[in-house]
Amino acid sequence: MSNFAVLPIIIPLIAGIILAFFPKKLTLVRTLSKIFMIGNLAVVSYIAWNVFHHGSVILETGGWTAPYGIILIADELSILLILTTNIVAAACAFYAPYSLSDRKEQFYFYSFFFFLISGVSGAFLTGDLFNMFVFFEVLLMSSYALIVLGGDKVQLRESVKYVFINLFSSMLFVTAIAFIYGALGTVNMAQIAQRVQEVDQQGILTTVGILLFFVFATKAALFPLYYWMPNSYAVPNPVISALFGALLTKVGIYAIIRVFSLIFVHETELTHEVFIWIAGLSMLFGIFGALSTNNIKLIIAYNIIPAIGFILMGLGVFNQDALSGSIYYLVHDMLIKTSLFLLAGTIAYAAGTSDLRKFSGLIHYYPFLGWMLFVSAFVLAGIPPFSGFIGKLLLLKGALAGEEIAIVIIALLSSLLILYSVVKIFIKGFWGEKDESFKPKSIKGRTAPIVVLLALSIFMGIGAEFIYPTIESISAYLLDPENYINAVMKE
Amino acid sequence: MEFIILILAGVLFATAIYNLLQKQLLRLVIGSVLLSHGAHLFILTMGELKRGNPPILTDGVNDYSDPLPQALILTSIVISFGITSLLLVLAYRAANENNTDNMEQLRGNDNE
Amino acid sequence: MIFTVLIPLLLACFIPFISRFKQKIHTGVFVFFVPFAIFLYFIQFTGTGFESIQHTYNWIPSLGINLDFHLDGLSLLFALLISGIGALVVLYSIYYLDRSENLGHFYVYLLMFMSAMLGIVLSDNVFVLYTFWELTSISSFLLIGYWHFKEKSRYGALKSMMITIFGGLSMFGGFILLSVISGTTSIQVMIANADMILNHPYMPLALGFILLGAFTKSAQFPFHIWLPDAMEAPTPVSAYLHSATMVKAGLYLVARFSPVFADFEWFFIIVSLAGIITLCWASYMAVHQTDLKAILAFSTVSQLGMIMAMLGFGTKAAVFAAVFHILNHATFKGSLFMVAGTVDHETGTRDIRKLGGLFTFMPITATLALFGTFSMAGIPLPFLNGFYSKELFFDSTLDLREGMNATASFLAEAIPYLAVFGSIFTFVYSLYFLFGTFGGKTQVDKLAKKPHEAPFGMLISPAILVLGVILIGLFPNAFNGTFIAHAAEAVYGGDIVKDIHFWHGWDSTAFQMSLAVVGLGAILAVTRTKWNGVYQVLPGTWSVNKVYNSFMEKLDIYSRKMTTFYMTGSLRLYMALILSTILIVTAGFMLATNGFTIDFSNLAPVSIIEVAVVLVIIAAAIGTVFAKKNLAAILIVGVAGYGVALLFVIYRAPDLALTQLVVETVSVALFLLCFYHLPNLKKRNDPLRTKMTNAIISVGFGAMVTLIGISAHSSDWFGTISDYFLETSYKLGGGNNVVNVILVDMRGLDTLFEIAVLGIAALAIYTLIKFKTDKGGK
Repeated sequence: MSNFAVLPIIIPLIAGIILAFFPKKLTLVRTLSKIFMIGNLAVVSYIAWNVFHHGSVILETGGWTAPYGIILIADELSILLILTTNIVAAACAFYAPYSLSDRKEQFYFYSFFFFLISGVSGAFLTGDLFNMFVFFEVLLMSSYALIVLGGDKVQLRESVKYVFINLFSSMLFVTAIAFIYGALGTVNMAQIAQRVQEVDQQGILTTVGILLFFVFATKAALFPLYYWMPNSYAVPNPVISALFGALLTKVGIYAIIRVFSLIFVHETELTHEVFIWIAGLSMLFGIFGALSTNNIKLIIAYNIIPAIGFILMGLGVFNQDALSGSIYYLVHDMLIKTSLFLLAGTIAYAAGTSDLRKFSGLIHYYPFLGWMLFVSAFVLAGIPPFSGFIGKLLLLKGALAGEEIAIVIIALLSSLLILYSVVKIFIKGFWGEKDESFKPKSIKGRTAPIVVLLALSIFMGIGAEFIYPTIESISAYLLDPENYINAVMKE
Repeated sequence: MEFIILILAGVLFATAIYNLLQKQLLRLVIGSVLLSHGAHLFILTMGELKRGNPPILTDGVNDYSDPLPQALILTSIVISFGITSLLLVLAYRAANENNTDNMEQLRGNDNE
Repeated sequence: MIFTVLIPLLLACFIPFISRFKQKIHTGVFVFFVPFAIFLYFIQFTGTGFESIQHTYNWIPSLGINLDFHLDGLSLLFALLISGIGALVVLYSIYYLDRSENLGHFYVYLLMFMSAMLGIVLSDNVFVLYTFWELTSISSFLLIGYWHFKEKSRYGALKSMMITIFGGLSMFGGFILLSVISGTTSIQVMIANADMILNHPYMPLALGFILLGAFTKSAQFPFHIWLPDAMEAPTPVSAYLHSATMVKAGLYLVARFSPVFADFEWFFIIVSLAGIITLCWASYMAVHQTDLKAILAFSTVSQLGMIMAMLGFGTKAAVFAAVFHILNHATFKGSLFMVAGTVDHETGTRDIRKLGGLFTFMPITATLALFGTFSMAGIPLPFLNGFYSKELFFDSTLDLREGMNATASFLAEAIPYLAVFGSIFTFVYSLYFLFGTFGGKTQVDKLAKKPHEAPFGMLISPAILVLGVILIGLFPNAFNGTFIAHAAEAVYGGDIVKDIHFWHGWDSTAFQMSLAVVGLGAILAVTRTKWNGVYQVLPGTWSVNKVYNSFMEKLDIYSRKMTTFYMTGSLRLYMALILSTILIVTAGFMLATNGFTIDFSNLAPVSIIEVAVVLVIIAAAIGTVFAKKNLAAILIVGVAGYGVALLFVIYRAPDLALTQLVVETVSVALFLLCFYHLPNLKKRNDPLRTKMTNAIISVGFGAMVTLIGISAHSSDWFGTISDYFLETSYKLGGGNNVVNVILVDMRGLDTLFEIAVLGIAALAIYTLIKFKTDKGGK
């Protein structure tokens, strides 16, 4: 079984390489990419089933025992996120042919797409800090390629900013790894955790930890480091925005959760308290950003920030309920952000513009699209009985039990404003007089992936009984670092 | 000596950041190159400097310099090279397409 | 019991199919049977020997979220109202809504609402209750926006949603807090553990959260502003949601939780005060409205305030009167809304300035209105239920609890006067509504259509409600024993045996208050037009609406201002903000945790050559900042790169040195290729302040990383794992060059993906170049 752990990384890598050989044969490329996607999804589901039933799958690559070789560890958290990643990616793979021009598809879209998935899965799986850096680079490099795909003026302009800021944070990542190696003599995460524990996180360690936090926070688009994100996520094709919105920022917040539940957990009254503040500010500033614009893609892009804030809030509160809430919210947000980005893309395509001031009354032509957006708004805002509700319930419960009243009030207020920011699209764009001169375009094929994602989101809410126990066991596992350390360092 | 190298790495960071805070694309790229040099020197110093021979096993020698940082730096150098190359082409294209290499003129607004 | 909640939802799923036949059979005909059947189901529970029942269905047991349905007197009263008025409203809508309308949507929303509302009153689980609560807000939003081509409908819909969901979320916070405090999600269990909750330090917070939810939903001052705008919905909706049921959800909530909080003094103060202010303000505001439905909307707000106040009093008499008035209000206000809808339907306007003298054209409608308004005004006649509950209300204001704190007793003193004040205006607007529409001169020429009596079908529902007004008025105790008392008991806790009498004697204070209301009200009603000027002073230009409008406007404007302030698109600004944040917070952490350590032992000796190389690199690095020409800058970077390679040689890293040399050479070539033709670096003409900021940030950051580096290097707690590599490189890895063995074996995965990164970069570069050159050709 343990060799299976490498498959979620290797299959997409191979798929990407194969697809790079005949970029011009579009029918073949599209079919193959769907087959690879489904195949990978099946393999990941199988691994996930195993992990949920028989415990973590650990691979010591090259047969080198921990902590010397690189460890891949598919525990419940990482495999859950990889599963979600693949679901989201599959939806995007099915949406892509409708949305991308043939030319963009011919220029290796599917290869970059699979490399991105490979990098994301690797970042979730690895148990080695430097290896995580390498996977970060894989996914970032793919994202650089995707964001400029098409080479429009605007895209080039935004991608320059995107690349520079991410490059800076990558170099800071390497530097932080150097510091950790200097102080602790290892780059294996389990061993780092063990050694930090032994010296009780004294001296410079907390500072290095915070440096690492900022590295990840930049990628996760947290306050006040998210400036690069909204515009660069709004300019590319909707499929690409959806992938970015669902995956890239989530890798950042995953890394924060992992590192600050496994390694730096001995000065929580300092570090995690700061997280709560950052979470609250992310919620507020993010939602003000979303309210500041009439560009529907930007509205969705800005909405990433408060979502990450919610996830960080759970880590900041750091008890069982709050952490469960974070993880629930993380999975929920991956699904709903993808469907919202795809929806925004479809609406912009149907209306011919993404400027909310320039269209209205779409419901007369696209009723189904309108209702999907309407439901998504409530899913996003955490209105019951949808997925966001369960996450929010757990987060707030944890926060109230931890007596963090201020963050609860901010969270509730920003939920209202999140709802407003998306319902605004429905009211302004879909309600209104029927425009008789309007010639509707076909959006056939674009809705199916969105429907599947929305259905999953709704199931995560209504069927929470099937999902919550797993999430609960993940947060219990995270709260005791010994679980991870013992699994990796066997002796 | 380690501290001197650490100071050097700090200076590289400082100059890199100063360059990153400029407007012209070339300076920004230069900044990113200096930044990676700084980061690599940090890794190098975190192993112990100049203790023993290069880490190539030779009979009769027991004292080698720390091989792991070297391996990490090697990986990082290659990756940085990849990014720098991409960045150069990207910068070139962005400057050509937008007819300016001044980042302050590449601001843009919401509704494009 | 669960079926009563689910059936409307299920039917809603089929409506899209049913509504296809709307030309043959009005969709409402199918819908009608659902609330009617539910009404019949619930009526079986009425009677003297009622016991509460509970059903539980598991939903998400691991989170304590279960479909716990609990039917007690209070729920029963509401369930009967929801299903009974629901049936009448659907019946009315069959005649009110034309078949050309989008009937499918209308009935889907309406059924959704019916389910949700039944869910609210039957749920014992706070989170399920919250779920249904939000569902009512959503269906209300959709119903108000039913005619969404009208700007005002969209405005009203958004407003109602913003305010009620704001309250809903707050209530959600309160529920979570309650469940954290009490360790349960069941309301009944919370009531049983009221002491534990009352003594908890966070109890006032939970109460405040929950009351916000109740006040927004029940349109209490200053949250009442959404209700008048909700009148944009079709009239059956106004009659149903915005007067008889949904707006009473807030009352239900307060009533439901009053056994938990009633012993807390501030519960009395806040709830009574909110209620009594709402009563006075809204009845005062109703008098100068010109739209029939607006009068009724303000009237509803004021009546809700009155009931809220009584729930706040919390005495036996008050609770009983509150519950009784919930029923009475539903009957007379429901009928009045339908009357207003009928008038609108038959004349084409609801503007009271254009109406008048309609009695001659619509005698039956006018008669129904007469009963409705007189009951609302509380005119002392033995067949008007409104009088009974009004009298009980006055009675309860006189008998407020003793021994309270100063604020509370002061309030208790003032309440009877405020009650009379509010009721006078209630009297005035009731007569104004009646005579403004049906009395006086006719102005047929101002009407869009020639008025005539409404079709028979449209009169059935209001007639049944008026019949209810009269029957309750004539036989109050028949209703009392069978379900009103049960409802009051569920709220109050103890036994309530209360006979309702019409006549209390001349010396009863409550009756004197009623007389005062009638007398003063009559004078004011006659002279109503004379004191229109008063409204110029109060509210004048001041209104809560303005606050809302300007809030929403400012929200957008300030969001934009704030966001564009820093989201300028300038990379320099972004970098500066990011860097200074990292610098300040990280440095702060270093200070706070006392992170800096320095240890001079165990260092390599300083040698001249190394220092010389270091100085060259430093010089080159600084040189890049001052270089003026592209070529110069690129070459200087090259020098720095080669210098680093030299350091690698000195520090016994031959592989690194080689790689660095190759990479550096290729990079410089690439640099030259890309930038040689671009314009030269310009002389910087940044203001000094920018330069200084840049310098401070960069020097600060450089210093910080150096300090962290020194500390990390000086923290020597553990040996490195590298010794293992030196040991096993040959034995297990089969190679002498340890770095190479690490790269290809121990850390082979790194290397594989490092190559992948290079490959992706190559592909990306190819795409970047190729996509452009092909553009012209295609």
